Amino acid sequence: MMAWRNRNKPMTLAITLVMLVLMLFPFAIMITTMLRDGTEIYIRPPQWFPDRPTVANLVNVWSEYNLFTYFESSMIVAVGTTILNMLLAIPAAYAVARLRFPGRSFALYLFLAIQMFSPVIIVISLFRIFARSGLIDSYLSLILANTVFTMSFTVWMMTGYFRSIPIEIEEAARIDGCSRVQTITRIMLPVAAPGLVTAMIYAFIWAWNEFLFALSFIKAAEKMPLTLGIYRFVGRWSTQWEMLTAAAFLALIPVVVLFYIIERRLVQGLAGGAVKG
Amino acid sequence: MKIMRTTVMLLLLAVFVTTGVFASGSAEEEKPTVTVFWALYDGLTEEFREELEDAFMAEYPDIELDIVPVPWDQMYDRLTTSLAGGDPPEVSVIGTRWLLEFMALDAVEPVGDYVSQATIDNIADGAKEAVVNGVLMGLPVAAGARILAINNDVTDVVPETMEEMRAEAIRVTGGNTYGLIMPGQKHTELTDFAYYFYAAGGDFFETLPDGSYGRSTVNSPAGVKALEFMVGLANDDGVVPEGFLSMTRQNAHPVFYSGDVGYVMIGAWVESALAQAGADFDVTYAQIPGFAGSPSRPLIITDSLAIFSEAENKEEAGLFIDFFYQDEWKARFDELVGFPPVTVSAASLPQFQSPLYQALNEAALGAQPWPLIEGWAEFSDVIWDAVSETLLGQKSAQEALDDAAAEIDSLRGM
Amino acid sequence: MTRPSLLRRISAREAQLAYLLLTPAVAFLMVFMFFPILNVFQMSLYETNKIGRLIRFVWFENYINQMKNPEFWEIVLRSAFWTFTGVLVKTILGMVIALLLNVQYRGRKIVRMLFILPWASSVPISAMLWTWVLNHEFGLLNRTLHLIGVANPPIWLGRPISSFVSTMWVDIWIGVPFMALVFLAGMQSIGEDLYESGYMDGVNSWQKFAYITLPGIKHLVIIATLLSALWTFNDFNTIYIMTRGGPAGATDILITGVYKSAFEWLKWSQASVMAVVTFVILTVVAVLYARMYFRAEE
Repeated sequence: MMAWRNRNKPMTLAITLVMLVLMLFPFAIMITTMLRDGTEIYIRPPQWFPDRPTVANLVNVWSEYNLFTYFESSMIVAVGTTILNMLLAIPAAYAVARLRFPGRSFALYLFLAIQMFSPVIIVISLFRIFARSGLIDSYLSLILANTVFTMSFTVWMMTGYFRSIPIEIEEAARIDGCSRVQTITRIMLPVAAPGLVTAMIYAFIWAWNEFLFALSFIKAAEKMPLTLGIYRFVGRWSTQWEMLTAAAFLALIPVVVLFYIIERRLVQGLAGGAVKG
Repeated sequence: MKIMRTTVMLLLLAVFVTTGVFASGSAEEEKPTVTVFWALYDGLTEEFREELEDAFMAEYPDIELDIVPVPWDQMYDRLTTSLAGGDPPEVSVIGTRWLLEFMALDAVEPVGDYVSQATIDNIADGAKEAVVNGVLMGLPVAAGARILAINNDVTDVVPETMEEMRAEAIRVTGGNTYGLIMPGQKHTELTDFAYYFYAAGGDFFETLPDGSYGRSTVNSPAGVKALEFMVGLANDDGVVPEGFLSMTRQNAHPVFYSGDVGYVMIGAWVESALAQAGADFDVTYAQIPGFAGSPSRPLIITDSLAIFSEAENKEEAGLFIDFFYQDEWKARFDELVGFPPVTVSAASLPQFQSPLYQALNEAALGAQPWPLIEGWAEFSDVIWDAVSETLLGQKSAQEALDDAAAEIDSLRGM
Repeated sequence: MTRPSLLRRISAREAQLAYLLLTPAVAFLMVFMFFPILNVFQMSLYETNKIGRLIRFVWFENYINQMKNPEFWEIVLRSAFWTFTGVLVKTILGMVIALLLNVQYRGRKIVRMLFILPWASSVPISAMLWTWVLNHEFGLLNRTLHLIGVANPPIWLGRPISSFVSTMWVDIWIGVPFMALVFLAGMQSIGEDLYESGYMDGVNSWQKFAYITLPGIKHLVIIATLLSALWTFNDFNTIYIMTRGGPAGATDILITGVYKSAFEWLKWSQASVMAVVTFVILTVVAVLYARMYFRAEE
């Protein structure tokens, strides 16, 4: 702990508080909306505190609307996307970061070029591919589609982190007798843990929150992820805000929990060794 | 060379997987599956959907029924995607006006080919909107004209003309109370402009001698009169809630439910929406008035059930539709969503005789649907922009509508 | 063994290994990205029917038609402005938050978790939530503003400029946690000893930031802002859900145009043209960035 940081603490905390309020007040509104009965939503003037607060929405959204199934689907898709991402991106990133070969910058550029297209543009083509292979209404279709769009980031992130690891560490391992693969798994990955973790969180969250592909590829109610499920509350003529906010609130929890768990690893990975910038 | 070998193996694996992915994989189904895209109307419960599914499969154990719930806003999107991808559902709820687009693609088949004559005969003649070139393409699933709902706590006056409505709206506006609701943010439906436009006797297109649509007449005197009237109500008279420009009907109509507004032009769902919002004031249902000298001419919207050509199990789909249109299910459906029944048998049931239904039935007599023209979604978007520009004061009503008419004509190649 | 041939041998092996490692990722992309993109380029050069089937090769006719339309250029400029401002604000705010989170104090972990909340929620849902927050009649933001004395709170989503700002803000709100996270991870990799030596010399916090922190994460800043620019440019959900491109086209950007053309009006060629234009613009941006990145490497 650095002494000079202590000096700035009160001001840091003050600014932090201001930023927190600025960024989080919509969630305050989310919470106050979900804790009220449907008849207290459209009242003029709007009130911060409902007359009859209730947790009925949080309960009902589970029992009446199959929220658990949506959770399950989202989880399967998000975890699958993260795993597939890692399997594809780590080797690719290592190659680009460490090896010299013709077409290296082209490869980097290729991964970047993907980001220039939004899901909106290729969703129809992907639908055709999946329809022809019988993958419509399958988790795999979402996992594949999500991986396409998260791969660039994971590759770029891992490349950056691999590259920032001093070559000496790797060479030391090779001299000690490690093969390339062992070097990657035993030495590089642990040291690049912060980058790895960031990439994984990114892939997970992207997949967890993805909407358009789910809308296009999933028909069965049992396979719908949360993003689609929550949209059920948007009716044709009115929106059930109390249910929508309740479901949205619950959908946040796994992500927050995941982040909480991962965060410790983030710190551990750093404690393992200072990586010089 | 070990590396070379591994590379080649991986490449072969990739090729293998790729071809596997592209190979037409069809899971062998024992039973034919009927997929139904089920639009989620407000008030329609998950329970009903499940019960309907179970009941049908109990009666037809050889058929697998999959009723897919789809929020309305996503319905068109989903259908487009599945059609473009070559995998449409057997049946879907559609906005009737979408039929034209689908027919141009040969994507739908006449529903009469698969549904029993008894079911078709049971449909009220007035509800058979999905008739194109004399052929019944779809069955009406929800049909409703728009009406005027009046908050009796604010006013008792049932206006005979638009001008009367305006006068009363001005009279009651004050404090926290407003006279009238007007959604001002662009959404898929061209309301409320269509209400005023039709009330002024206007038509979106001229009708040519051969029955087809000619140039756009949205900039006719009726159009300008309607739009200027709207601008007056909103900007000059101030009878409309302040934030109207930022509100689609999803946010605007609830201001009525909160009890602070006198008039709203709305559809059959109003009663269930009021109940859901916990409204406790009395409501009178009346007709949307015409302007002085013009008859009342409300808008009528119908949604239809259509069968898609590329689907596999269309015969079984017909069986489902027959099953669904029995009073036991269709009447309950109508009650839940709040729309008047479209079947002759259900129309005489006691639950459909309330004041709201009476008003709806009366409105249906003189009502006018959207123009049944290909590309309406885009034209509607153009007109909406014109309405917005006028409400924002960027253009005059005449200017905006002239530009809109010109754009629509050029989009149609006229 | 002569020098040149040894080097050649080594690089041949290296190249082989590289291709091996790259194959899974590249093959995957070939199937699921390359062919769809090719299809998009194709559709832009053809007349298409309402479900996207190619009818007739028309060279660049579709492009010319689009470019003749002045509204098209308005949309392009608006997209660029929306993106640029959004990314700028996201970067600055992200940097500020990362610095705040880089300080040790009890409860820091909770604060970190709170800051990622905007990112943890799906974009359509967040956009809907914000629409509710910004609602003029029922939204608590204007209610609160009214309570603290603001006489006439703006009708956020009703007027052109405030709509533009609102949608931009929501996009920023959603994107800031990511930037903060990336910057923070980078800051924490900067060795403590670098700061120590700075402290010894008696430099203040601002100089520490400018001369140690910032250069140390320069790579990350470049990558993060580039990716953010690409994502922001293509952010469809936020605007579509909040304003649908209104009022009167004030928030129409290229990607919403693509969606509307494709899914609402079934004009696949038009949509594809806009998609290709997007690609070209973003390629130019990326190339400029790549130069910056590779130069920063040395």
